[in-house]
Amino acid sequence: MTDTNTRQEMVLGNEAIALGLVEQGCRVATAYPGTPSSEILAGVVKYKKQLARQVYTEWSVNEKVAFEVALAASWAGLRAAVALKQVGLNVASDPLFSAAYIGVKGGFVIIPADDPGPHSSQTEQDSRLMALTAKVPVFDPATPAEARAMIENAFILSERYEVPVILRPTTRLCHAVQSLPMEVTPAPDGEIPSVKFNKNPTRWAATPKFRYKLHVELNKKLADIEAEFNQSPLNYVVEPIQNPKPVLSGAQRAQVEGSKIQNQVGVIASGVAFNTAKQSLLELDAQIPILKIGTPYPLPQKLVGEFIARFETVVVLEEPDTCIELQLPERSRIRGRLDGTVPTAGELSPEVVSTLLAEVLTGAGYKVNPSLDDVELQTLVNSLPLPIRKPRLCPGCSHRSAFYSLKKEFGLSAIYPGDIGCYTLGSNLRAVDTVVDMGAAVTMANGFYQANRLVGDSRPIVSTIGDSTFLHSGIVPLINAVHTGARFVLIILDNHTTAMTGHQPTPANNYLADGSEATRVASIPNMVRACGVNFVKQTDPYNQETFQEILRDAYNHSQAEDGGVAVIIADRPCVLYDPSSVRDDPLPVVITEECDGCRYCVEAFECPALVLRPDKTRVDIDYKICVNCGQCIDACHKGFIIPEAIANEIPQTVASEATL
Amino acid sequence: MTELKVILAGLGGQGVVFFTRLLSQTAMELGHSVMVSETHGMSQRGGSVISHLKIGGSEAPLVRRGTADILLAMEPDEAVRNLPFLRPGGTIFVNSENGLRPEVAEHLERLEIQVHSLPASQMAMELGVAAIANVILTGFAVAYPALPLPIETLRETVKAIAPRGRELNLQALEIGFQAGRSTNDE
Ligand code: SF4
Ligand code: SF4
Repeated sequence: MTDTNTRQEMVLGNEAIALGLVEQGCRVATAYPGTPSSEILAGVVKYKKQLARQVYTEWSVNEKVAFEVALAASWAGLRAAVALKQVGLNVASDPLFSAAYIGVKGGFVIIPADDPGPHSSQTEQDSRLMALTAKVPVFDPATPAEARAMIENAFILSERYEVPVILRPTTRLCHAVQSLPMEVTPAPDGEIPSVKFNKNPTRWAATPKFRYKLHVELNKKLADIEAEFNQSPLNYVVEPIQNPKPVLSGAQRAQVEGSKIQNQVGVIASGVAFNTAKQSLLELDAQIPILKIGTPYPLPQKLVGEFIARFETVVVLEEPDTCIELQLPERSRIRGRLDGTVPTAGELSPEVVSTLLAEVLTGAGYKVNPSLDDVELQTLVNSLPLPIRKPRLCPGCSHRSAFYSLKKEFGLSAIYPGDIGCYTLGSNLRAVDTVVDMGAAVTMANGFYQANRLVGDSRPIVSTIGDSTFLHSGIVPLINAVHTGARFVLIILDNHTTAMTGHQPTPANNYLADGSEATRVASIPNMVRACGVNFVKQTDPYNQETFQEILRDAYNHSQAEDGGVAVIIADRPCVLYDPSSVRDDPLPVVITEECDGCRYCVEAFECPALVLRPDKTRVDIDYKICVNCGQCIDACHKGFIIPEAIANEIPQTVASEATL
Repeated sequence: MTELKVILAGLGGQGVVFFTRLLSQTAMELGHSVMVSETHGMSQRGGSVISHLKIGGSEAPLVRRGTADILLAMEPDEAVRNLPFLRPGGTIFVNSENGLRPEVAEHLERLEIQVHSLPASQMAMELGVAAIANVILTGFAVAYPALPLPIETLRETVKAIAPRGRELNLQALEIGFQAGRSTNDE
């Protein structure tokens, strides 16, 4: 480990993937941000600078765009990669399916990050199943170190068979940080390969007739790849030895079989579940062989079949769904998700894995260590009134001001379609009623308008969408809404960045992924106008009164005879991204002694810095996190939240102290 | 050192990620293999945040409940929420003015879990920077043999990775360490 040529560095899983890409000569890397994948492209930028490599990096406007930009680079002959989250792969699924048939030239790696749990996604879908449907080979790393190493395998396989390949991490890998060896003096950047796009319309623009041929070819490639995976060192058996280090590659398999180890139970595991299973078996003190699968699709059937044949029962552990298990031709010995042994939803946490393994093993006659859970303590903790920590918009977030004005203007009965981003948290403020996917704030408003018209429901429809999400998937729906004569108010919450995922730039910013200058900046108001919208107003939601007046005008426009969709651009930077806007113009506030703890402000405005005392007698401001935005002044309708400057003028009103 | 498993807990915005990096980087500098699991995304907007840290052990990112050696918590209720992670005989370091809620006392005794609390937020306010409570608590914890990371190495890590205000961070580390030393000696 203390090799003289290497030093260790703590590397985030996503950055380990990025490092692998840069090391392996990836020349074009694109992405659209989304938890848990967001740090991959940022990592590519970091390592291309650190290792002085020439890589084109792009935060694309959406995942389909990202996919195709990288695909073209691959068709030109360069190594390319696209990083996205699993639902982002849905957005890019059109080119995914087509690219599988047509194939690639330069190595092309698609990196969709799955989110078992889910922790920050709409679904727990399994990108490996998408791969199975699209017929794209999959690498399934278990650790950051393995993910980094697998990038090389992925590029080589992609080039050898001219197929796109998927490297599929999950949240726990993306957000794991592992000590990795780093070269002290990295190898110099190789030459940019002298390649170019070779015209060949029969292939690159194949007609349906030729697509059939391509499909047949793809099936043949997959059969060859499966044969290769049967021999791959990425798939191996860990035999139960006290110190479970040595591993058996495909080639050494015969030897193990020769030794005729007879076991009741074996485990097949892939991804993060592999190490979780290893840890659980150690904690249970059970000596059970594990077949680690690094390439779940196409499944190396021969290797897997031979492993299964050794046991009475084989437990399959994979996330978030069934990919290995589904491909097994015969499942009579298999215990997994399909027979209910493994829960069919949620993450494979160490607790879940050890509980189910203990159950299977005990059932098979093994003696295992008792559960490590202290049930009494857990029951007590569950019964305690611990505060529920919902995520909330940051103190000073301008979205809160916009939502608050919305509610004041339109009340709680209006229909509020929402979208994906920090502002999804507007649901806490009861100003987000629906969340489907990126861009659905616009389409759902469109649909509600048409439905309401038919059923005679006249409630106002007021949608909210962020700037990045609007550019990602809001423009086309807006054209549709204008064209079909829908009537609603759309508020574009323009905070100048992609805030939720860590402030990546959008096409409306003047810089690119690596910080270089963008020559052209997309103007959101111009785009909205170009969609055919006649009411377009840009305003700062911090000016709550003006904002509310504009809301009223917008609504009136949407109802007027010659009106239609009205768009307001709520324009103020995210306070985390650009704190200067608040810092330069602070409005510190205090809560007067008259505050009676009615908690109206806490619930209706929900600034984390407004804190109800535990004895509920009053609300205090937590000045440790308050940013002095002054936006809460109106949130006390009794007028007990006042500017500090005014409080100082009234000597008898003693300002409350921070008490937390 | 055999495997050491640590749970770090707090609320979004309390610097749990930085706090975790401090300890993991220090362990790595000492030559241990390190595996960490962080919380990203929505929870960072004020939700419960938890990191799992494994020094010199398994490559599984998560610590199983009932097996953690140490729980470091930036807030007493988050400490209580995550109590079930600790093994019998484990240790808690918590940023709190008056320890943990009384309801858990009986169980802490039964499971022989030690609680060391320090009003780190208050001490941070005295230094003028609320956000530095995490560094104070780190210094406090390493003063105890339960968390065997030498303060010297930790100082080097702070110098290397503190985003800004290196002197202030070092001072915070020192204040916490001294507080730990004095309670430890009693
Ligand atoms: S990160 Fe920015 S946009 Fe997101 S909640 Fe915080 S202030 Fe609002
Ligand atoms: S001034 Fe009011 S709204 Fe703004 S951060 Fe402070 S408490 Fe929150």
